[in-house]
Amino acid sequence: MRYNNSDIMLFCKSLVKTNQLTTSMKKQTILLLMGILCSASLLAQRTIEGTITSPEGDPLIGVNIIEKGSTNGTISDIDGNYSLRVSDGAIITMSYTGYEDIEFNVNEVSTFSITMSEGALLDEVVVTALGIERKSKALPYSVTQLEGRDMAVAKEINVGNALAGKVAGVNVSKPSTGPGGSTNIVIRGNGNIASSNQPLVVLDGVPINTDNLGSAGMWGGQDWGDGLSSVNADDIESYSILKGNTAAALYGSRADNGVILITTKKGTKRKGIGISFNSNIQYESILNNNDFQNTYGHGNNGLKPADAATALQFGLSSWGAQLDGSMVPQFDGEPRSYSDQGDNISKYYETGRTFTNSLAFTGGDENYNFRFSVTNLDNKGINPNSGVNRKTFSTNTSGTFGKWRASVAGSFVNDDTKNRPNLSDSPGNANYTVFSLPPSIDVTTLRGTNDKQGAGDDQREYQFNDNVFVTNPYWAAYQFENNNVKDRLFGNITIGYEILEGLTLQGKVGMDRFNERRRSLTPYGTAFNQNGGLYEANNTVREINLETTLRYLKNVNENIGLDILVGGNQQKNRGEIIGINGNTFNVPFLHSIRNAANQSTDYQYNARQINSVFGQVEVSLMNQLYITATGRNDWFSALTKPNGETSNNSIFYPSIGLSYDLAGASLGLPDFIDLGKVRAAYAQVGGSTDPYNLSLTYGIFGQGHLNNPLGGVTSNSVPADDLKPSTNTEFEFGFDVRLFKGRANLDLAVYDRTTEDAILPAAISSTSGFGTRVVNVGEVTNKGVEVLLNFTPIRSKDLNWDVSLNYSHNSNKVVSLLTPEADGERLRQQESRTRNAFIELVEGEAYSQVVGVVYQRNEDGSIFLDDNGLPAGDTLRSFGSGVHPNTIGLNNKFSYGNLTLGFLIDMKTGGVIYNATNAYGTFRGLHKNTLEGREGDPIGTQNYHQKVAFNISEEFIDDASFAKLREIVIGYRLPADMINSLPFESATLSFAARNLFTLWQKTDNIDPESTYTAQNGQGLEMFGVPVTRTYGLNLNVQF
Amino acid sequence: MKTYIKHIGIFIVLMLVVQTSCDDGFSELNTDPQSATAINPNFQFTWVQLRTSGGRYENWRAALIYSSTMIQHFATNCTYWNGDKYSYNGGYNSSLFDRAYTESVRDMQDLIFTLESGAAGDQTMLGIARIWRVLIFSRITDLYGDIPYSEAGKALKEGIDFPKYDRQEDIYMDMLKELEEGVAQITNDGGFGNADLLYNGDPEKWKRFGNSLMLRLAMRLSEVDPGTAQAWVAKAISGGVMNSNGDDAFIQHSDGPDGWNRNGIGEVLDNTLGTDDCPRMSKTMIDWLVDNGDPRLDVVAVIPDSVSTHNGMPNGLDEITLPLNPTGTSRGHFDRINNDLVRMSSPMMFMTYAEAEFLKAEAAVRGWGAGNAEEHYNAGVRAAMHLYAHWDASFDIPDGDIDSYLANNPFDSGNAMSQIGWQYWMVTLLNEYEAYSNYRRTGVPELVPVMHEDNENTTNGQIPSRLAYPTSELGFEQFDAALSQQGMGNDPTVWMAVPVWWDK
Repeated sequence: MRYNNSDIMLFCKSLVKTNQLTTSMKKQTILLLMGILCSASLLAQRTIEGTITSPEGDPLIGVNIIEKGSTNGTISDIDGNYSLRVSDGAIITMSYTGYEDIEFNVNEVSTFSITMSEGALLDEVVVTALGIERKSKALPYSVTQLEGRDMAVAKEINVGNALAGKVAGVNVSKPSTGPGGSTNIVIRGNGNIASSNQPLVVLDGVPINTDNLGSAGMWGGQDWGDGLSSVNADDIESYSILKGNTAAALYGSRADNGVILITTKKGTKRKGIGISFNSNIQYESILNNNDFQNTYGHGNNGLKPADAATALQFGLSSWGAQLDGSMVPQFDGEPRSYSDQGDNISKYYETGRTFTNSLAFTGGDENYNFRFSVTNLDNKGINPNSGVNRKTFSTNTSGTFGKWRASVAGSFVNDDTKNRPNLSDSPGNANYTVFSLPPSIDVTTLRGTNDKQGAGDDQREYQFNDNVFVTNPYWAAYQFENNNVKDRLFGNITIGYEILEGLTLQGKVGMDRFNERRRSLTPYGTAFNQNGGLYEANNTVREINLETTLRYLKNVNENIGLDILVGGNQQKNRGEIIGINGNTFNVPFLHSIRNAANQSTDYQYNARQINSVFGQVEVSLMNQLYITATGRNDWFSALTKPNGETSNNSIFYPSIGLSYDLAGASLGLPDFIDLGKVRAAYAQVGGSTDPYNLSLTYGIFGQGHLNNPLGGVTSNSVPADDLKPSTNTEFEFGFDVRLFKGRANLDLAVYDRTTEDAILPAAISSTSGFGTRVVNVGEVTNKGVEVLLNFTPIRSKDLNWDVSLNYSHNSNKVVSLLTPEADGERLRQQESRTRNAFIELVEGEAYSQVVGVVYQRNEDGSIFLDDNGLPAGDTLRSFGSGVHPNTIGLNNKFSYGNLTLGFLIDMKTGGVIYNATNAYGTFRGLHKNTLEGREGDPIGTQNYHQKVAFNISEEFIDDASFAKLREIVIGYRLPADMINSLPFESATLSFAARNLFTLWQKTDNIDPESTYTAQNGQGLEMFGVPVTRTYGLNLNVQF
Repeated sequence: MKTYIKHIGIFIVLMLVVQTSCDDGFSELNTDPQSATAINPNFQFTWVQLRTSGGRYENWRAALIYSSTMIQHFATNCTYWNGDKYSYNGGYNSSLFDRAYTESVRDMQDLIFTLESGAAGDQTMLGIARIWRVLIFSRITDLYGDIPYSEAGKALKEGIDFPKYDRQEDIYMDMLKELEEGVAQITNDGGFGNADLLYNGDPEKWKRFGNSLMLRLAMRLSEVDPGTAQAWVAKAISGGVMNSNGDDAFIQHSDGPDGWNRNGIGEVLDNTLGTDDCPRMSKTMIDWLVDNGDPRLDVVAVIPDSVSTHNGMPNGLDEITLPLNPTGTSRGHFDRINNDLVRMSSPMMFMTYAEAEFLKAEAAVRGWGAGNAEEHYNAGVRAAMHLYAHWDASFDIPDGDIDSYLANNPFDSGNAMSQIGWQYWMVTLLNEYEAYSNYRRTGVPELVPVMHEDNENTTNGQIPSRLAYPTSELGFEQFDAALSQQGMGNDPTVWMAVPVWWDK
């Protein structure tokens, strides 16, 4: 190929010119093309070559290297290497998105291997709604983007939990539910009274199902995981968190809690096939907060048990005598030393470990790229005989063929969870038992009398106390089963066609489908259900999204740019559960559904659909002022009356936003201000409800009773005559200042969000025949401030130190509940098994109030005692919200040569928790507060504390504020000279730990993050899986 | 620009075409394919009957844990069996209230609306349904006092979300009227047929049941309003009450497949399942049976392996006093109930012919002109002895044994009220709500209340006079009014000490 030099010059110049006003994504592509075309053509007198790396030592691919004042240039290759012929004394500039530009004279530098430092992200491109990449500067709202690689090193099994502490305004709490559990993510506060407050998760442009598949309540239960629990951290390139309504408005009704956009890794242009191998092992042990007494043993009223029967009766009571080492009968009749048997918690729980190996193949050229990966995650939980195995097969392939562009991305996930632990109430809950044992009983003596864990000689549950509902922990762990296997396929196919220059039509089909096969066994011989029971079910969930968009990009002139998008979406959801319940096994210990004497079926079905049209217009003026407006209209099947009557089943919601860069304007601002963006936005989104809420139907039970079919009103909720969509309206204001070439950034956002007309089953008196009535009611406001401060105190060739601080405060208020006129209304969300502590929505107070019974007090404020010296419960009171209003994250990153160190401190304050472990510990004489007075008056002391335990909740409300060393990662990258002798391109070894230390906490005997549910109504603790710390190693090798 | 607009226009049109063409069934999508929009009254009546019999939940708590131990049918040392020592547990107290309204009342009202509207069913069905509704409400008001009645269960059809609490006096007057009208509506045409688990649709039996229930409820007013009581007793008897064990009102349960098929008491006590081993036959009951040489002793009670004679457990024992108890130091030393009476497939009794005879005997004793007290008493005893044949033919007491029992324990007109009361108490074993109500009215049997530190703050050594309302009703205006009209405060732990209206 030969070109006349001047032709090429002309061509290159024209490229630069036409490119000036297009989006930065295009700019990069064109610069890349330009580099290739223009590089080899110019005369040069010497060749410079080297490697360009990031401060972490990763090769930087595609850095633009240009000889200043000419069009001579090149880009770095896949290994960060480049080579360029330049004229002697040439000034070279290197530029790369997200890094500071570098400029040097070739004659003044001896090495051309350059480490670029991260810089002001002026032209940073972020992924926004519908996967549209936009300049961060143009955005009128707050978006936070996170790199996937950080969370792939310091791993959480549920990736949602790895977001904790990292984003201002995003409150992540990991429930105490075991390795296969869910996550609770709330962005900018809880607004929904009844429906979920968790964000929409969009994976590669397609929404995925994030429903919680079941969680524990006051009567116990298990956490069956959620949609994020099957997303593989190793495949994720980045997370983009759209916090406000404006950001999410294009997603319509489902985005009223914000959106988490997840982009998976793609292949890149390279020679041959790249192989990346990552191996991660994490060990897990309990962060043990338990400090129960160990001076009094099992027994009652200050007495040791005299015989086996009494020992069995008081197998769970620590109101015995002071431990004296004498031989005292235990539940099995065996006399053992009446002494402290050591820490039952560390004896019972095991060291968990999670082994994650992933292998990825990547490749590509200019027109085509692919990535294929396989990941195996194998977890053994701290609860004996429990764990998760997850295998993920992912691909992401795309290609460009002339005006056509197509991509396929998707994953197949096999998620096999063994023995999801029982939580909260006692039946089958090993945690309950282990934390309730008297210090004189050694938990290992409950293993049983033979090889069958937790069983006696008759192969049935080995009972150590007379309450059949408190299960032997080994029986619970080894004989109970709560297993599920989930086969999930999600992904999308996208085809785009450029109709005209700047006008692109795109179609996308996305699917998320899973089959969840569940088995829950209460084994034969269980004390509370001697004949046993079994539930086997298959749950199929399917969501399909069909989306068409038309996008038009146009620069009207050099000052005005247009970006217009219109589209339509159709979302179809269907769920079906086919289950069989069996009770009473005929053949003992044969745990087959066919062996059950009583079999009954469970069939559930639901279907709904949302049709939508939407559009977005962005106008940019002078590259400084951006105006974005969106509109979307949703039609909900769930709000459509089945009889065809007119219904309020649709809603239109608009948004408008403005962003203005003061630094770019000629206002005479100092030079050290790189960016001074102010932004303002307004948006509204609406919400729908579950299907079948609009009319009363009768459930039919065909199996009947003695040959008579049965049928009745099965809904506990009075259906609504007329429902309209709920609305969620938000104003957001913010500014984004970047100073000193990116060494200091401040991003501040203030928002005010009002959620109205929630569709909820409002509690009515059960004497009306129904527990609830479905209504459009209520108003909840969330007002808050979010601050993100990035600061680089040290930036040098060898040492880099970056500090990132995020802070958010959310002021939440339930303004009105059922009737706007009435004051002081309340709505109960959760209840503790102790039945005297509740989570309620209370008018005038923040979401999820922890409500409980206070002490009856004398006029001087002292606790009232009756004639028997016993306290009494008085009225119910709100003690505060179970949701922390304040979150603070402090992230530090150091890099020195090949070493990196990062750590994250996560702090939350202002929330409270009801500590049921202490209530039970008090009732059973385990809490240290029960020690005083026992010697003199054992019976009186016992009566006092047992009265307090379940009658007065005030005693057990703890401040749940905490600060934790959430994450620490130390990485070492093998130096280049070592790598050269090895068959790798790079190798990095890291030490990673999570929750290593709690720096500050106020809870007593429990971890402040010990709620047993990921659903609305946070703030109750009761015998969940203990909170753990993890630590381990990560090895990443690239071939 | 024009061409672009054209393109966009075409696209939008295309999109709308796609959307509408895919729209088939959008509005039908919101119909639950698993449910019916209307229902056969037969299906719903069977359902209501089963829900009235109740689930494990309220049978365990309100019937067994509280009622059965308070009236000393059963005894236990288990601390969570609060009834034995009259201590307060909110959830256990309110369990019948909590369940009845949303299970039996809801569908009962819905069915009566359907029948009254004439959309389905017939007048006989309506009469039967009205009688059954009275049974449901009478159990709630007897246990709890003033309750939502006239407005209850009407959220769906009348939009009443917070029903007012009616005074028990008003409820009783209305229930008696309902029974009278209900019985009058029953003809030989129509009815629920085999869907009626009580009588297979037999209209005559329903009339006799309606009148017997009228007799029971009328007699309940004997202390508070003897005049009204007498008038309605006379009306009931003249209308025709149950006249054989074939009239006994019970539901036959089955061992599954679902919870609602099972006898709720059986789900708790069937020892082959080992669900709750706490209760033992009370010493009060076993001693009475033993002292009178009652042939039912071996039918209802099982001698424990560890001792050789029937041995009832004294009420009020706890972990401290049980080991010191001279008649037995552990639960294993006391009689259990015969497991064959408390299986999941056992019948659940609502009212028996024997009760009707005892009520007539009482009416006679009171001089309310109901024939001969002794004849009714003897007929009641005979019926009661034959009662257990409903469980198993082998449990029937031979007539010869009954003759000798009556010979040894003849009717004593000087002690008639006590005799009748004891017999009534015995025949209502496992119909604990009724046993408890009749005891409160008559004060018979002459039970010795349990004095225990656990009840110092609840009833202070008195057998509770009612069960406590659910605290979840606190704060509802209507409920607060009900508390004040009964002279009750906000502290639920002392509610059990307050007598209901008819309990004078």
